[in-house]
Amino acid sequence: MDPQRLKDNFDHVAGQGDAVALFFYADLFVRNPHLRDMFPIGMTGQRDKLLRALGHIVSRVDDLSALVPFLQQLGRDHRRFGIVAEHYPHVGQSLIATLRHFSGPSWSDDVERDWADAYGLVSKVMLEAAEEDSLHSPAWWNGQVVAVERRRFDICVLRVQPDRPLPYRPGQSVALEVPSRLRQWRYYSMANAPRPDHTVDFHVRLVDGGPVSPVLVRRTETGDRVRMGAPVGTLTLDESSRRDVLLVAGSTGLAPLKAILEQISLRPDPPRVHLFFGARTRDGLYDLEDLSKLADRFGWLTVVPAVSDESGGHGFSALLQAGAAAGGGDVEHGPLPDVVAAHGPWDGHDAYVCGPSAMVGHTAERLRRLGVPDDRIRLETFADAQR
Amino acid sequence: MNSPNLPVVSEGSRLTPGELQSVVFARAALGRRGYDEEQVRNFLAYVERELVQILNDKAALAAEVDRLRAQAAKGASGVMAPEDAHFQAVRILSQAQQTADLYVADAERYTRELAHEARLQREAILTDAKGRAEHMLEDAHRKAAAVADAAVRDAERSRPGPAARPGALPDDERRAMEREIAYLRTYSDVYRTHLRSYLEALLRNVDEWENSEKASLPSV
Repeated sequence: MDPQRLKDNFDHVAGQGDAVALFFYADLFVRNPHLRDMFPIGMTGQRDKLLRALGHIVSRVDDLSALVPFLQQLGRDHRRFGIVAEHYPHVGQSLIATLRHFSGPSWSDDVERDWADAYGLVSKVMLEAAEEDSLHSPAWWNGQVVAVERRRFDICVLRVQPDRPLPYRPGQSVALEVPSRLRQWRYYSMANAPRPDHTVDFHVRLVDGGPVSPVLVRRTETGDRVRMGAPVGTLTLDESSRRDVLLVAGSTGLAPLKAILEQISLRPDPPRVHLFFGARTRDGLYDLEDLSKLADRFGWLTVVPAVSDESGGHGFSALLQAGAAAGGGDVEHGPLPDVVAAHGPWDGHDAYVCGPSAMVGHTAERLRRLGVPDDRIRLETFADAQR
Repeated sequence: MNSPNLPVVSEGSRLTPGELQSVVFARAALGRRGYDEEQVRNFLAYVERELVQILNDKAALAAEVDRLRAQAAKGASGVMAPEDAHFQAVRILSQAQQTADLYVADAERYTRELAHEARLQREAILTDAKGRAEHMLEDAHRKAAAVADAAVRDAERSRPGPAARPGALPDDERRAMEREIAYLRTYSDVYRTHLRSYLEALLRNVDEWENSEKASLPSV
């Protein structure tokens, strides 16, 4: 295999954009009509994913130490879609046909051999990881919704009982599928540390125009079924650290941080923890009541709620708002990164940040400038994952 | 019997209408009865017309055969090749997929716009309600404060000078409480009035809503 030749060929093909992935899937389905049902009706997102994954693989094709873990994860991820060994050659055949079609005269037997070798390697690593994973873990977990709490017209907390234990580390998430939106998986973080009864909580916010989140928030009822993939994610507690902890949550980005908070509370000697919980408006602080109770119970925990789009208020409106946020105490005003910065210093803390991408980016940037080293900031955004 | 003077015809070729025309029959011998010349000519003319017709038909059929052969030949080398059939299927499926993606995107955009408008309306309604509530509370406070002040002034006018009775509250404290009671009575009174008129307005809105919904339904 000549990695450079492979990269050059891929650059040439990928430069032709969406048409490449469109051709690939059409070719795959014409040759194997039974595979069409494994994909959603709308394929726009799917094509983006394919091109991104291919780009990622090709750019690391000569760096196996980086490529192999990515492929192993990809292989494990594909188990929940029902992808098995016999599907891999079909995909390889259509991939080669697509590359040949878009390469034009630059296609040669050598290039074809490069691709065949590369795909052979990719599918071997993915399959081995999937098989290894299947020894101790199901392809997916079936779950039943056991409680639904609507906290606002567009925010909902779901409790799900998995059909078998779902081992995860607090801060991780699972891909979730609802029966009325088959083959549309969305990632949600478990909002609690593992419990003896194995139930997990999800904080779901309705994203306008999204296919899945409106179903979860508005239409889900107790008894409904969901499917869950294997837990993933690296926004987990650094258990080797003895430093104090800073948690910064924007909206439902609270979920993984609340799980981490619960994990810390189970320690015999918890560090000092500051939790900043931000939203645009006061009624977006959907979990403040519970957080305030935790803050009352644990002397080591400080909860600072903040809203960015409402002014400080004065006179009677402030009185009304205080009444509306039951048990909320007072709320800080301003963008979350500013509020966090004003409560510093943080350079001796481990920071965990989760929320909308702009908020996470700005907070992380601010913390770096305040002297928090990069390797002590763990973050996660839910940009497009939760529509 | 004399045979007609037929032209010499080479092997393999066919009788032509022209040849028929050039046929000359020998005259019958004098005194002997022969074919009626007129009838023979008429018959030959008839044969000639038939031959022309047959040859025309034949040419048309040959052309048709050529046309069909050409079409068959073209088909065999183009559309029917499995390779091209596959690309055609891929192209059609790609187009169908793009159409589906377009519909999905349109539907998503539409619901996003609707939801956005609903959010704006919700915020407008909440802001309006908050403004009203604030107004009500301020009004109640203003009136109650005025009434309380008046109550204190009345009390002072009717009982001038210190006249402490045993067991009773000191004057200052009693006045403060009277003032507080008057304030609260008036405050709650004004607030109730405002709240009642606001709730009535809301009920009227609900009625209007119901009526307009009924009016928009097709009559059964």
